[in-house]
Amino acid sequence: MMDFAPMHSAPAEVPVEHHSHGGWDPYVDNGGTSLAIAGKDFVIVASDARQSDGYSINSRYDPKAFTLSNQTVLATTGYAADAKRLVEVLEQNAQTYFHKHEKQMSAPAMAQMLSNTLYYKRFFPYYVFPILCGLDKEGKGAVFAYDPVGNMERVVYQAYGSASALVQPFLDNQVAGANQRGHEGGLLDRETARKIAIDAFTGATERDIYTGDWLDIFVIDQTGIHREKRELKHD
Amino acid sequence: MFLTRSEYDRGVNTFSPEGRLFQVEYAIEAIKLGSTAIGIRTNEGVILAVEKRVTSPLLVADSIEKILEIDRHVACAMSGLTADSRTMIEHARVEAQNHTFAYEEPIPVESVTQAVCDLALRFGEGADGQESTMSRPFGVALLIAGVDERGPQLYNTDPSGTFWRYEAKAIGAGSEGAQTELQEQYHRDITLADAEVLALKVLKQVMEEKLSNTNVQLAKVTQETGYSIYAKDELQSVISRM
Repeated sequence: MMDFAPMHSAPAEVPVEHHSHGGWDPYVDNGGTSLAIAGKDFVIVASDARQSDGYSINSRYDPKAFTLSNQTVLATTGYAADAKRLVEVLEQNAQTYFHKHEKQMSAPAMAQMLSNTLYYKRFFPYYVFPILCGLDKEGKGAVFAYDPVGNMERVVYQAYGSASALVQPFLDNQVAGANQRGHEGGLLDRETARKIAIDAFTGATERDIYTGDWLDIFVIDQTGIHREKRELKHD
Repeated sequence: MFLTRSEYDRGVNTFSPEGRLFQVEYAIEAIKLGSTAIGIRTNEGVILAVEKRVTSPLLVADSIEKILEIDRHVACAMSGLTADSRTMIEHARVEAQNHTFAYEEPIPVESVTQAVCDLALRFGEGADGQESTMSRPFGVALLIAGVDERGPQLYNTDPSGTFWRYEAKAIGAGSEGAQTELQEQYHRDITLADAEVLALKVLKQVMEEKLSNTNVQLAKVTQETGYSIYAKDELQSVISRM
């Protein structure tokens, strides 16, 4: 008979949530959702305003989409404090640029600058998932999506945050026409884009506990930024 | 001038009692010894033309470079100390590339000019006794030509770190005569083709040697093609239109 080594059938390892005791924990995920949809000559940006920490709601109205200039909006998710600091840095840079070059920084210029800003903190990143929106040189809607270390991609639409897994596929279907027979494709008109953005958040609010309370909507076009505040469910 | 010169032209950062910086003024004088350079702005682009002093038949004329590229959309013509211009142009090139890296857009022409001028007064001792890169003012004047969203532009910088925007400008030894001529001949809707010819005609008038396709350099900066320097045959075809 063969001699078998004793089998150690270790149970599947269950991930344990480690609560740090006095350790340094610099990051918090404050939840919430942001999205942006680009059109022919406009961009629509929407962010809910709930700020959470675990099961607690810190604030029912703490906006996470920021106007950086009269032509650009930055929608964020992730760690609210880092997002606010990031916005300060971008505003400082935009102001310096304005004085140095006697012109407003364009959205594509801001996009590159944001990428660099994030990458310079590659080894202690801002825990933020930014979506930068504005118009490009031709006046077309421009959406730039990033990861926290500055990888940048220009996209037609993007959803980030706690309900991104719900909203992104919804946008895939409604904006890009994924899995729709006979979808014509092309960019959405302004009113359709706005309605889809609102529907996305109404739906996300139902299913995601971190999304809700209030919705900030920005429409950027040639004439400037048009802001709208809507109510979402508070539960 | 010689009466007031006394001791105050020694230190590069010392004002004379009349409030003048002699070393800077001498540097401005130095560029009046340099070869003539001309810039003409048109609505289609900017023309730069320089004379090359081929001082010996054994000198390889091609080795004299007085028009240089700063970025695809900015070029510059220099007059004065060639060696000094290298530091300034290197600085301008770095600034241009840094701008593109930071903002993914070409640097505005005025910003390049400003960057070069920022360098002009960084001479003498550093504030806390540190060595700075230059011990004296740069003996160079530049004509910076470029295109950006504000259209074609021409700037002139001098050793005092000041810059001006011009429609047409001549610098160097023949600048006085050339500037007068430009003032008479320039008009706001001059074409690029006419500006090529005008630049060479004016240059010809102030040059000591006979103008040929070896002793001048011609370049243009346009919205469509950016900076390009004329090859010998292109230059010859402009000369034949004179």
